[in-house]
Amino acid sequence: MAGITLRSVGKVYPDGTRAVIGLDLEIGDGELMVIVGPSGCGKSTTLRMTAGLEEISEGEIHIGERLVNRLDPKERDVAMVFQNYALYPHMSVFENLAFPLRAQHVPKAEINARVERTAKLLGLDPYLKRKPKALSGGQRQRVAMGRAIVRQPQAFLMDEPLSNLDAQLRTELRAEIAGLQRELGVTTMYVTHDQVEAMTMGTRMAVMRKGVLQQQGPPQTVYDEPDNLFVATFTGSPRMNLLEGRIEHDDALWCVLGEQRLPVPGTNGRAAALARYAGRDVGVGVRPEHLTDPADAPHDRPRLRGRVRLVELLGSERLVKIEVDARPIVSDETIEVARDVDVTSADDVAGRGRALVTARFDAHARVDAGEVVEAAVRVERLHFFDLATGRAIRDTG
Amino acid sequence: MGLDRYTRGTFLREIALILVAIVYCLPFYLMFAIALESTEQTYRAPLALPSPPQLGNFAEAWHTGGQSGLPPAFVSSAIITVSSVVGLIVLGSLCAYTIARRAGRLSNVVFALVVIGIILPFQLAVIPLFVAMLHLGLVGNYLGFIVLNIGLLMPLTVFLYTGFIRALPRDYEEAARVDGAGIVRIFARVVFPLLRPITATVAVFIGISIWNEFFVARIFLSGSRHETITVALYAFSGENLARWNLLFAGLAITIAPILLFYLFAQRHLIRGFTAGVKG
Repeated sequence: MAGITLRSVGKVYPDGTRAVIGLDLEIGDGELMVIVGPSGCGKSTTLRMTAGLEEISEGEIHIGERLVNRLDPKERDVAMVFQNYALYPHMSVFENLAFPLRAQHVPKAEINARVERTAKLLGLDPYLKRKPKALSGGQRQRVAMGRAIVRQPQAFLMDEPLSNLDAQLRTELRAEIAGLQRELGVTTMYVTHDQVEAMTMGTRMAVMRKGVLQQQGPPQTVYDEPDNLFVATFTGSPRMNLLEGRIEHDDALWCVLGEQRLPVPGTNGRAAALARYAGRDVGVGVRPEHLTDPADAPHDRPRLRGRVRLVELLGSERLVKIEVDARPIVSDETIEVARDVDVTSADDVAGRGRALVTARFDAHARVDAGEVVEAAVRVERLHFFDLATGRAIRDTG
Repeated sequence: MGLDRYTRGTFLREIALILVAIVYCLPFYLMFAIALESTEQTYRAPLALPSPPQLGNFAEAWHTGGQSGLPPAFVSSAIITVSSVVGLIVLGSLCAYTIARRAGRLSNVVFALVVIGIILPFQLAVIPLFVAMLHLGLVGNYLGFIVLNIGLLMPLTVFLYTGFIRALPRDYEEAARVDGAGIVRIFARVVFPLLRPITATVAVFIGISIWNEFFVARIFLSGSRHETITVALYAFSGENLARWNLLFAGLAITIAPILLFYLFAQRHLIRGFTAGVKG
């Protein structure tokens, strides 16, 4: 087992496109690192450079102590799981699993033993004689995992291994892969565009955009303290509500949204940093779960008022879309994320003068479209961003 | 819904298709009819039904064709066809793999040469080629003729393989690289088996054209011990007298293996033309 270290890694294609720029990433021994980002963010290129399928234009990649920049994939001792599994269609499951061992000239008896052990671990033993064509999507995925595991490599590299499966299977296999990885303790680089996978599976996650690493850390930290507007919008579903507001500083700190004022607690470490923005416009972010039905919140919690435009009942809760008297933040980042999620909400973000914010109400709350309602705001969980740089405003001290 | 309804349109379509089928079958009829006619009838009424059918024509053609009957010519044709096809498949697929997978100007230039090789008529080069091969001792023997066939049909083979490989997802090869396989193992164990549909197409296509080839074989093998079957059949059409019934009986014998092969490989053949590889 070994960790993976990327130092100032860059990828420039012959046409000048920079797919990855100055990437520093360290994956500890036995750690599962999820690299997440929208399509074209450079995450797959990073994985392929680590595998040796793509040349490294700049920087260094180490697997364990070894510098692998110039090594062939077969010398790197890593195993990869491909998005479409890349199972050899003319070989049986057994032969697929045995292929990497045969390539390394492992003795036949050991091949049989290792393939059998791996098949048993993944519940594939009844299917060893079948061709991939005769397997279900989930079984194929397991064979692809098996082909990686059977090698006992230094590291696993997984390129969106669940994206071809239906939602329910994805959820099941998500847990299975994470469990298997923990059990085997193999260092894993896992690439996905699905932020739910990133949140649920990784020991740590790294968010990329346009070839640049935006933030890395434990999923909860990234979710709770996004470093910039992009990370804020990319993590969480429904997305974080982003509005333009103004900071006012008299006896206390206030966040002004249109006609309304929300107090900003002074105990927080970033109060000093925010105070420097007094009188200026800032980006204000609030996650839907911090915008709730006042009936379920302490009565002294500040409120945000607006007209209900749409109510979506999800069974366990109600998503209430409230139009508030404040401008939405329309930045490249928010539009890009919205577009990645779906096109209509991209138009939503781009086209409106007044922001639609999503609040999470109890499933049985009585709210209807057209009504004016108030939502309770957990002001201590508000996020603030510099509108010029998109960076989170935090205590600099 | 509309599939089980037999309408007038369906009827007319059927009639049209049957007519087309008849046109296609006509040469077969002529071949078998004339093959069964007496020599006298072939001059009097060649298109009529043979009366009475002369089954002995087949035996006579089999024993008297070429220099010493058709069997040696059959063996020659088989050796030449099989060896040329195997050579073309091995070399052509390797060459196409390199062209398809190596990005760069050189591989584009080589591919352009391949296409030119298909377009240029062979007849242009036949005399210098004959002279050169004569000096090399490659005329009138198996080796020379097989090498010649491989050379002549390489452009088409490479062209067919290149198109197929270009459409083949790279994932299999990348998976094999990461799995620790070297280039030889990747080609032999992963890529080549995936080429099966196009290999079948190439084998049938090229095999039939070599088996049926007359012009080149007449120039390079005529008079040698290794005459192919088409050259041997030509003996029936002499300067003064053509034994059409024996010639056609010989032809019927000649195409029998091809028909059998085609029936056997038909499924692969069609798939090679239409489909890629599914994982």
